[in-house]
Amino acid sequence: MLKYLGLGAIFCLLCLASLLLGAKQFSLAQLWQSDPVAWLTLTSSRLPRLMALLLTGAGLAVCGVLMQQMLQNRFADPGTTGAIDAAKLGILLAMVLLPGAAVTVIMLVALLCCLASCLFFILLINKLQLRHRQLLPILGLMYGSVLSAIAELYAYQQQLLQSMQGLLLGDFSKVIAGQYELIYLILPLVLCSYWFAHHFTLLGMGQQLAGSLGLRYQQLVWLGLLLVATMVASSLMTVGAIPFVGLVIPQLVARHCGDHLAQSLPKIALSGAAFLISCDLLSRLLLYPYEIPIGLTASCVGALLLLSFLRTPA
Amino acid sequence: MNKSWQLVFCGLLSVLLALTYLLFDSGLDTEFILPNRLVKLLAMLTGGIAIACSTLCFQTITENRILTPAIMGYESVYLLWQALLVLLFGLNSPLLQDLQLNFVCSTLVLLGYSLLLQRWLFSRSLQDVWQMLWYGLVFSLVGSSLTQFFQYSSSPAEFSLLSQYSLASFQRAELNQTLFSALLTLLVASFIWRQRHQLDLLQLGALQAATLGVNRALLLRRQLALIAILVAISTSLLGPTAFFGILIANLSATFSRSQSHRHRLPLAALCAVLLFLLAQLLVEHLFNFKTSVGLLLQLCCGGYFFMFLIKHRQTS
Repeated sequence: MLKYLGLGAIFCLLCLASLLLGAKQFSLAQLWQSDPVAWLTLTSSRLPRLMALLLTGAGLAVCGVLMQQMLQNRFADPGTTGAIDAAKLGILLAMVLLPGAAVTVIMLVALLCCLASCLFFILLINKLQLRHRQLLPILGLMYGSVLSAIAELYAYQQQLLQSMQGLLLGDFSKVIAGQYELIYLILPLVLCSYWFAHHFTLLGMGQQLAGSLGLRYQQLVWLGLLLVATMVASSLMTVGAIPFVGLVIPQLVARHCGDHLAQSLPKIALSGAAFLISCDLLSRLLLYPYEIPIGLTASCVGALLLLSFLRTPA
Repeated sequence: MNKSWQLVFCGLLSVLLALTYLLFDSGLDTEFILPNRLVKLLAMLTGGIAIACSTLCFQTITENRILTPAIMGYESVYLLWQALLVLLFGLNSPLLQDLQLNFVCSTLVLLGYSLLLQRWLFSRSLQDVWQMLWYGLVFSLVGSSLTQFFQYSSSPAEFSLLSQYSLASFQRAELNQTLFSALLTLLVASFIWRQRHQLDLLQLGALQAATLGVNRALLLRRQLALIAILVAISTSLLGPTAFFGILIANLSATFSRSQSHRHRLPLAALCAVLLFLLAQLLVEHLFNFKTSVGLLLQLCCGGYFFMFLIKHRQTS
């Protein structure tokens, strides 16, 4: 109990630090005196940023664990199964074919592309029946590289290569009030995954066992895919791609809390959020007052964590 | 088909395609078109040999048919190095303008990386290829986001230079650099060719090879150094080719139905040259330069690779 209280306190401190630190400095005292500039900074930039960080981190970590349950493989995550590349392709398609389309339409196209690609990848993996589990991320990266080759081929012809660059590397500096609200879509989706946590735990035991325990396997896989695709598409639309979160966080939590999602899913979501908040603090402080895109810091920190997992297998 | 006839057939086919490439729509213009295309042809030959040798040797020493040095992080280290040069010294520094100097420096960096990889991984467990693969994958992921960051924060002129580096093409082949690379590739390839029998023995497994008198540790160290040079050559000449090596290594194994390097090395090199020629012809005459060779190759490699996996799913 004490341990959880401590972790909760650390989490709150991280959130507070994320609210108070930044290029425009203000203190709690200024907020208390209702200084208009401080309040404007807080409501139009810091709070949206914190919400986006919380939701993206939680969403990506949950996406990772859902993917891992569906593929029964610890190395699966949206980045290593081509889901992010497919969503990128979708955004590009929507930008070119439907010029001036609303953000929601673009997101819908990205979502559909992501869904189709994940479905194809799962079918492929089931057909292959890999002998080595570690092969999956290699296959996924290869699959992703084919998808992004198609996207680049297209962008190359339409002279969009440089504007696609913005999608490649996650960045929270663009998040301000009025431009990030799509990210709130993640909240009900994470809650929905928690509602089905028992089902997804069983899903990870394979089609036969899950079926004999009374689970509708196909429908559940569809649900999982829909959840993952929507969360990936909405996070990609608002902040861009952030690698390693879905790969590292579920492994980290599974080491301490086991695989029962009804117990571990909230922890996974919160750890994902805490991970992104710390990475964001790091990327804001390293070159203060400038900032590094979070895609970079998250991939460095995530890589270090992953390497330490590899050195000491559970 | 007899194995040497296979080689002759492939060789004739590539000569035919090469002549088509040289002469098609050229108007026999000896001032510009022909010399230009000759340089590109030389670059294809060099790149083909370099990629074939490096991938085959790498697959032999790691005892795995779906690996290539490219996914061990070599290419992302190369890209990272170029991005760093642009960022630290600017576009006009001699390190970027002087292609030979740039080439020598990048080769040294890649050799350093290869040494690090060996030190770190091969010293502990020679057996655990998967572990090594994971390290390589993680390095390439981090490297690619670092490169993206540098591209992100660079000016448009720098961006166009950097994106040139990150897509494979023959457009930036330049005479002096190509000649230099060709000579170096021949030298390294001849070293590998001299060790072909030892490589054959290595395929029998570590224990068997040791019983038959192969100094495995020494052979591995030498091969990794040679591979680093070859990867540096092919990457600086053509750009990153990612999974292309896997494609040609497996094509050569399928065609020759033999495991011996005596047959596979030349066949794989010929396959690579053939595919390069085909892709370049398509890009120049069918797509009118609206796409790049690298993207075409990436597409067909990916497709082939998945077909290969589905076909061999018991062994993978």
